[in-house]
Amino acid sequence: MTRIKKGVIDKYLLTGATGFLGSHIMAGLLLKGKSVVIIGRSSAELPLKERIRKLLRWFGIEHLEGFLEFHETDFLKKNLGLGNDEYEHLCIERLPIIHCASDTSFAEKNRERVMKSNVGSLTEILNFACRSKTRCFHFISTAFAAGTGTTEYHETPVNSANFTNVYEESKAHAENIITVRCIENEVPYTIIRPSIVYGDSVNGRSLKFNALYVPVRATLVIRDIYLVDVRKNNGQKAAECGIHLDIDGALHLPMKIFIPDKGKINLIPVDYFTKTVLSIIEKPISGTFYHITSNNPANMERLAAYTQRLLNITGIEVVIGTPGSDETRNAPEELFDHLIKPYMPYISDKRIFKRENTDRVTCSAYPPDLSYEIFEKCMAFAISADWGKKLFYS
Amino acid sequence: MCKIDFLDTGLCKSGAEKHYVSFYPQGRMDLYAALAENRIPVTEKCIEIADTCDLCGICDYQCYFVTEMKPSLVMKALKEHIKLHLDSGGEILAAESDSILDGLKEIVGDYWATSDRAVALTYSHDPSPVAGPRLPEYVIMPDSTSEISAVIKALNSHKIPYAVRGNGSSVMGFVMSEGAVIDLGRMKSIEFDEKNWMVKVGPGVAAFELQKAAVKRGFRVNVAEPSALVCANIMCSGIFSLFSASYGTAADNYIDAEFVGHDGEVFRLSDKSAPNLFAYKKEDSTVPGICSSAYIRLHPVTSDEGAAFVPFDSLEGALDFARDCAMRRIGLAIGVLGGEYLSVFLSPTKKLAAEVKDIFREKLKIEYLVLVIGDKFALRSVKEMGYNYFDNRMMRILNLGLPSLSSAKWLDIIDELSAEKPYSYLGLKHFPDLAELALEPSPAKLVRDVDPELRSFFEKLYSKPEMTDPVWLNMFRVVSSRMGREKHVIPMIIYLPIDNKLISEINSEFKRIADSHGLKNDYGFITPLDDGKRCVFEYDYYLDQNDPDERMKMQQAMMEAGMMIERYSAETGTVTWIRYVFSQGFSRKESFLYSTQ
Repeated sequence: MTRIKKGVIDKYLLTGATGFLGSHIMAGLLLKGKSVVIIGRSSAELPLKERIRKLLRWFGIEHLEGFLEFHETDFLKKNLGLGNDEYEHLCIERLPIIHCASDTSFAEKNRERVMKSNVGSLTEILNFACRSKTRCFHFISTAFAAGTGTTEYHETPVNSANFTNVYEESKAHAENIITVRCIENEVPYTIIRPSIVYGDSVNGRSLKFNALYVPVRATLVIRDIYLVDVRKNNGQKAAECGIHLDIDGALHLPMKIFIPDKGKINLIPVDYFTKTVLSIIEKPISGTFYHITSNNPANMERLAAYTQRLLNITGIEVVIGTPGSDETRNAPEELFDHLIKPYMPYISDKRIFKRENTDRVTCSAYPPDLSYEIFEKCMAFAISADWGKKLFYS
Repeated sequence: MCKIDFLDTGLCKSGAEKHYVSFYPQGRMDLYAALAENRIPVTEKCIEIADTCDLCGICDYQCYFVTEMKPSLVMKALKEHIKLHLDSGGEILAAESDSILDGLKEIVGDYWATSDRAVALTYSHDPSPVAGPRLPEYVIMPDSTSEISAVIKALNSHKIPYAVRGNGSSVMGFVMSEGAVIDLGRMKSIEFDEKNWMVKVGPGVAAFELQKAAVKRGFRVNVAEPSALVCANIMCSGIFSLFSASYGTAADNYIDAEFVGHDGEVFRLSDKSAPNLFAYKKEDSTVPGICSSAYIRLHPVTSDEGAAFVPFDSLEGALDFARDCAMRRIGLAIGVLGGEYLSVFLSPTKKLAAEVKDIFREKLKIEYLVLVIGDKFALRSVKEMGYNYFDNRMMRILNLGLPSLSSAKWLDIIDELSAEKPYSYLGLKHFPDLAELALEPSPAKLVRDVDPELRSFFEKLYSKPEMTDPVWLNMFRVVSSRMGREKHVIPMIIYLPIDNKLISEINSEFKRIADSHGLKNDYGFITPLDDGKRCVFEYDYYLDQNDPDERMKMQQAMMEAGMMIERYSAETGTVTWIRYVFSQGFSRKESFLYSTQ
């Protein structure tokens, strides 16, 4: 492993700055006094600059906009869709690149789109990295790119061919392409692999409400539907599913959540993710893989207990195994099963991610355990932001 | 729509008795407008027309259902206008003596031929943007084939041009004439011949009336818009509906027909010497005569019929599925509908339609729906093909729960519910239970924004199972009349192969042309024909027929759309504009769907 040339870096080039993780990296860099070159796209509703401005306001750092530079790009086009002068000008700067842009869909129906976004777009981005002789190419991947098959995963290149979904597969494929191209062209690189990222452990704020949030939100929706029935119609329909109000006012919502294995859910808060990424890119070691993962992952039982407490419900039971053929699923259970299906591999995950490289960078600073207090803060924020609908008004 | 009893309220009493359109709310509204604007004098018939309205309010229920308007206000105004005129000793124009009229009265009876200006006015216009009003000299209502024949001979002998009117639902100016208008509205006979699977209908029978009679006997007929007269409809462009996917169109719909030719002679299509109306020629045609009765095919109905509304996020996906169903002969009725079907058609008010309009597109991601009506085996096949759908129960929940839709929290998790496969939540066994709980559907809820004076009627109406039964609604087509709720509809109709690229192109062209003239426009529907080898495609332009500027724009847009269709027709050899089927609706569909050139 070779340490990259010393010297204080005060400017980075970042992709994916409008996304959840990318925006936190952008904010982290700005707060550290760094300048950031944003390359990305406008959305149908807003130009790139406005999208970023919205985020700066959300982070409360709009006063730092002057440290940003914007370039409208298309990663699938030659020279990133930039004009020659603009492209060459960017190359000359030899900026470290943090490639965070990604399509995070798990759905097989989106395979073409995900592969195009996460793999197809690499060609031009890597061309740019090589052409600009970047000081380092940092790739934000996922811990789950390691694939499946064994239980212990080290911070090494992927050698599995089995993946849970197209997202994992695309990230693994991208890691391999980046590794090969960077080695061939002597471009320094790092691969950064976070596990599942949720909101800020200090203030609960988040820009995205998938993964951890989905089962909680689903339970909330189900609870509210039945609460209306209980209050307005004497709970006739609710009773058919064994749902009723307990004496203490809690809604008894009998739901068996079947998970295939007694595994864990590897979650990290976004503030820990950001801090760790900033540490890695400050003193990167080329060719190094970093697992930004939890050393003490939560389990489904803990999350179910948190959810019950938060929503004032009882009756949720986590069962290891699969429902028997004679097991009839009630309406809430069927809906819940359907919602968490894509996340099933992650909520009973037996994979253990070793993190020696990350420990070295962070001096063994681990992410905080997902306590009820953190969980409550995150969910309270999610509810106040109406799960993202009122994100920029809260 | 006021001439059919589609809400089971009974008909306007005077209309049902006097038959002239002038005695229906539709005619009275035209009459009042003309009187108020001093376009006609007060005549003897004016007084009769005003007097015979008993202000029962049936027309409010009917018209409100379709347009949210209450014609009884106009009825009251008409009565007041006449009363004021009489009270102030105003002149009453008596009918002038006229030997031609006398001759016509001899044929049809004294009451059933008139030259009264008040009656003539109500037959003088339609919303066509390409035809101006024409006030007829005479309006004649024959009651039999022999009377039609005698009337034609009489008119011919005096060289009086005439037009034949069904329910006046043709909107292209075909039913107007400066000479005579022959209104066939009295000829409402319906005679079933069950052992021969046919029903003989008179030319005054409307689609709704025939379907109602057929359903009562356990049959179904393939008919078009509820108020359109069956014989006139076949005569005009042939009948097509979503059921045309299995029942066919044009000559497929009838077994025989009786005509009165332009010379007044009567002939039957089954006569060897009869003109060959099965033949087709691509040209602007004229009607071969007056269809005085038609023998319509009856179709069987099974007790297990239901509907599947299969949602799609693209036209291409919807077309693929519809074609697949047609090729495999799955389903009786198949239609590719626009996403607005659920909001515009099912909402009793414009306000609700506007509230829920975006929900189907933006939240549920439904751009198109393929409606398949079939028996349980057909519906099972749709499931086996891997498609989830809104079934009868879900449609009832959605319809009666529409007002809760915009505030339904569960819609926020629809993306997650569809993460693996679009609309996969519809495959959940208990999803309707949850939807029912969340939307709390009820007739009272659905009509909460309806005019308070009419609300209790509409609540009772929506309590009837048929009003939320997609099979019934599609057989009788009462809700589709709401598409003209805001503006008059000018349908652009073509026959073509179910070629995704071609249809997408033409769809975009229709839109581009209307947009360029600032006209409201929308995709209508597509129904496969002949095992999915062809389809009928309707794209709708909308018009405020009272706005001269919009009429001009519509004329221009229609001309450009016509040129566009002609271009595709020439390039592909497979696109047929309905313009060339007009007046040839008795022909074999194969003749205009395919070309042997």
